[in-house]
Amino acid sequence: MGRKKACILRVGGTNCDLETKVALDDLGLETEIIHMNHLLRGHRRLNDYSLLVIPGGFSYGDYVRAGAIWGKKMLSKFKKEIEEFIEEDKAVVGICNGFQVLVESGVLPGIDGSISEYPRATLATNSSAKYECRWIHLKYHQASSCRLLPDLDEDTVLRIPIGHGEGNFIVGEEVLEEIKREGLVVFTYCKPDGSPANGEYPYNPNGSMLDIAGICNSRGNVMGMMPHPERAYFGWQMPDWTSRGLQPYGDGSLVLKAIASYVERL
Amino acid sequence: MRFRARVEVKLRPGFFDPEGETVKEALNDLGYRVENVRVSKVYTVDIDATTIDEARLLLDEMCRRLLANPTKDLYEVEVQPL
Amino acid sequence: MDLPFEIYEVDLIGSNDDVLMKISIEMGIGLNAEEMRYIKEYFKGEGRNPTDVELQTIGQTWSEHCYHKTFKGIVKTTDGRIVDNMFRSYIASVVKELNPDWCVSVFEDNAGIVDFVDGYAIAVKVETHNHPSAIEPFGGAATGIGGVIRDVLGVWADPIANIDVLCFGPLDYDYSKLPPGVKHPRYLFKGIVAGIGYYGNNMGIPTVSGAICFDEGYVGNVVVYCGCVGILPRDRYLRKVRPGDSVILVGGRTGRDGIHGVTFASTELTKESEEASRPAVQIPNPIEEEKLRRAIIRIRDEGLASGITDLGGGGLSSATGETANKYNCGAVIELSKVKLKDPNMRPWEIWVSESQERMLIASPPQNVARIMDILDEEDLEAAEIGRFTEPRRLKVLYLGYTVADLSLDFLFSPPRAVRTAEVKEDEGGEADFDFAMPNDLSSVLLRLLSSPNIASKESIIRTYDHEVKGMTAIKPLQGLRSGPNDAAVMKPLPSSWAGVVLSCGIKPSYGKLSPYWMAASAIDEAVRNNVCVGGRRWALLDNFTWGNPEKPDRMGSLLKAVEACYYAAKIFQVPFISGKDSLYNESPLGPVTPTLLITAVGIIPDVRKAVTADFKVPGDPIYVIGLTRRELGGSEYYRILNVKSGLVPRLRPSAGELPSRIIRAIDSGVIMACHDPSEGGLAVALAEMCLASGFGAEVHTSNVPLGEPMREDLVLFSESNSRFIVEVKANAEEEFCTLMEGIPHAKIGYVTKSPTFLVYGFDGKSLVDVNVDVLWKTWRNALTSR
Repeated sequence: MGRKKACILRVGGTNCDLETKVALDDLGLETEIIHMNHLLRGHRRLNDYSLLVIPGGFSYGDYVRAGAIWGKKMLSKFKKEIEEFIEEDKAVVGICNGFQVLVESGVLPGIDGSISEYPRATLATNSSAKYECRWIHLKYHQASSCRLLPDLDEDTVLRIPIGHGEGNFIVGEEVLEEIKREGLVVFTYCKPDGSPANGEYPYNPNGSMLDIAGICNSRGNVMGMMPHPERAYFGWQMPDWTSRGLQPYGDGSLVLKAIASYVERL
Repeated sequence: MRFRARVEVKLRPGFFDPEGETVKEALNDLGYRVENVRVSKVYTVDIDATTIDEARLLLDEMCRRLLANPTKDLYEVEVQPL
Repeated sequence: MDLPFEIYEVDLIGSNDDVLMKISIEMGIGLNAEEMRYIKEYFKGEGRNPTDVELQTIGQTWSEHCYHKTFKGIVKTTDGRIVDNMFRSYIASVVKELNPDWCVSVFEDNAGIVDFVDGYAIAVKVETHNHPSAIEPFGGAATGIGGVIRDVLGVWADPIANIDVLCFGPLDYDYSKLPPGVKHPRYLFKGIVAGIGYYGNNMGIPTVSGAICFDEGYVGNVVVYCGCVGILPRDRYLRKVRPGDSVILVGGRTGRDGIHGVTFASTELTKESEEASRPAVQIPNPIEEEKLRRAIIRIRDEGLASGITDLGGGGLSSATGETANKYNCGAVIELSKVKLKDPNMRPWEIWVSESQERMLIASPPQNVARIMDILDEEDLEAAEIGRFTEPRRLKVLYLGYTVADLSLDFLFSPPRAVRTAEVKEDEGGEADFDFAMPNDLSSVLLRLLSSPNIASKESIIRTYDHEVKGMTAIKPLQGLRSGPNDAAVMKPLPSSWAGVVLSCGIKPSYGKLSPYWMAASAIDEAVRNNVCVGGRRWALLDNFTWGNPEKPDRMGSLLKAVEACYYAAKIFQVPFISGKDSLYNESPLGPVTPTLLITAVGIIPDVRKAVTADFKVPGDPIYVIGLTRRELGGSEYYRILNVKSGLVPRLRPSAGELPSRIIRAIDSGVIMACHDPSEGGLAVALAEMCLASGFGAEVHTSNVPLGEPMREDLVLFSESNSRFIVEVKANAEEEFCTLMEGIPHAKIGYVTKSPTFLVYGFDGKSLVDVNVDVLWKTWRNALTSR
């Protein structure tokens, strides 16, 4: 049986595609970086892949709002393909700008599994008003609907870096209730000891509601997160390996490995 | 007929505006005493439509689909014939 | 002639000196009387007058910014010496004498290139963008980064890291003392930091190395250094342009923005600059440049092109002229083919516009179609605007009419500039006067840690993405306590453990006291910072920021600093591979503080061996290597005590031996932590090693190896060069001491589990006793409050 294929999609302004490919290749997936123009011109077809990654960057300069233009462009060209992709239980992962794209396109939160016509959430400007590049502590929620999660102890605290200016996750009350009810919160920012950040800066680096760092759709196969697991994939990428001792892999590998193993089970 | 629309997209009142805060500080650094700054975006859109009402409808749709995110933004549209 | 556009013939032949100068000023080309006369003679020989396009071309090509007239000119000293070509005599001669086989390209292309591993090479360039940033801080700094990235793309290298070094006036500078037209340091600071972050972050290039300095001498002249490092496969360094090859202009459209940036950079800032110079500042668009990057790397990997250069100062006029000159051919350009932002631009404006995000690609005609395909796939605009030709002439057409036709031999042999250097004895400062030792050295240490020059720059560094690309193995902020590191290490190749080590050295506070020892100290610091993490085989970049070189005192100090570069580089056997100078940094407050930035690029064969500054294991012994001397001129200690005298730290030939010993010790695994004492001396460096780790230390001043007897406070805060502090593995002291044989070294204390930094005086009494968390918070929070 051939290896499962991953598509890392890019447009002008995407810039985290290569490191994502390095990690997914290492996990044994057959990974290609595809410019959206190649899909448009029919050189590649989305349904040949089992994993779609929308990587980080500043797609289309993040003009209008971060991720808004790419989100709308993608839907206007490939709505049907993406809906099929999701319905076939293939995996879609948006990291950083990719998360913004999934939110702006209405793919996330994806309550009842469908794509909403208008965005139902926003990733607003960080409350610090600054771009924030820092290592944060992250908790993931085993109880969530997400099917791309690592099989780890609920108390595990992951250290993964963020790098964004617009990561402040905000939704209206009604949507928030639905997110809670459907168990869509996948990652939250926390303190080093694993206790909730409760909005405290810099543990919660951007002001997100409920310290939300990543969410999934109700179906559990589409996930978006602001932190960059691909920047914490190898042990030497961690911020303190010179004092804690060098491990082969970093905390981000747990997240990406879980995604790869989900894809391989398809 | 051609119309020119002025679309202003701004944060909902009460929504924290980090960009506005930054601009406020910068103005204070230049020696002014500024109390409050809110930033909004203005788009000037030229569009063909049969009537001004149709143009307004189209602009409203554009705002909902791309230019504004309803969770955080309000928008105002003014349309004039060109 | 009746032409369908505006073009002027300028009457040089019939003009006397006064009129010639008037022409130079009115056209904004910044040439002096001698140069104008030289041009007049050339056109007499051609039997005609020049067009405005031709005069603009000459003005751009001969500007200080493009041609480095001062460095390449003749310097006469007031004591009768003549230095013919300062650049060649001192800077470039180092690499010539050392002749290292790992230097691929030095001082000839857009960036310096040195060998890396596995068939790859490292390209690096550092630029200044002082004048534009003073007028429009955000745009000026952003386009500075954008420009230096294009320099690296301009040697077919893929950028992997950005560097930024900034010098500002004090952030609390009194508003009422600001002269008209000069913006407050705090305003400049915020805009410049935002601009640098904007461009690098948007392009996805990590900003990993840099420095921020504060000094009164920068109030009127802010200093912005932007650097970029890239890598390329050595066999993809395509440069074989031939006559007949096509000239393709790629990227953003050409507009009126950025006209006369170079002549603007080569003159002094005045009160009027603020308004008059705004059009000279360009508009940044990092996403366009990111697309350019993609396309360029694809064109490189398919081997389609024969040459490439970026469009920077002077726009098309410099890019085409320099490329043709470099490949010993000529060029014909049709300006009407250039894609414009504004269709009403005049020919000369198209020709000299410095609009951003444009590159020039040379390609054999048969590959043009494939190149255009790639550009289209990346959503880029491009136009084939001309050809390279046999005759060594630069010919410019507009709608088929010739608007310029210049001999390249003439264009690239401007009259030599002659400068006068006033020679002053450079004693390196004055001897100290005696002052009482402060009673409480703990509080002095805390004051030093909160001084803006020493305090953590975390609040700035965190706004720069330094993790994107996932290559940053040693980061600008170390560990969860965000401690300081001496250098950044990038691991650019997935298939190799080899790393690129980036560090810098800059000593603004020494510049006013001794330009010579300032320059030597900057080199020592850059090399030491590199060594501390395990970097070796360094290459250096020099970036001078000086005042008006036509004034003999400024020229005199510049010459001193250039001489010091040669002296220091020879000590470490390290070549300069690239550089850039920014002169004419003058304002109503006077000249800029003479400033030299040295960037060091080293390599480390295995990043897993890299060492960081934070203490690792309680109980480990702490050693000091190198002698501490009574060298506190320009030190942070004297600054806070307001002592104006003191000797600036020297650099002695014996320093050349140290780096290889430290590297050997790092490679054999006996060094657990390494840090260089610089601003604030041993005390600050030790405190930083504590605060980064959370561990304490207990040290004895009586054990510090001294070059001469002195008081304990001077031992602690002296800024003598050529010293290292290392934590040695507990059971490896003997091996370490064998490795250091013949070099001054001594054990001064231990790392302690108890989080307290303790320093004992000569008589064993406690001098410093501070909790490490207090050190940490003081250092970390001093700059964060706005």
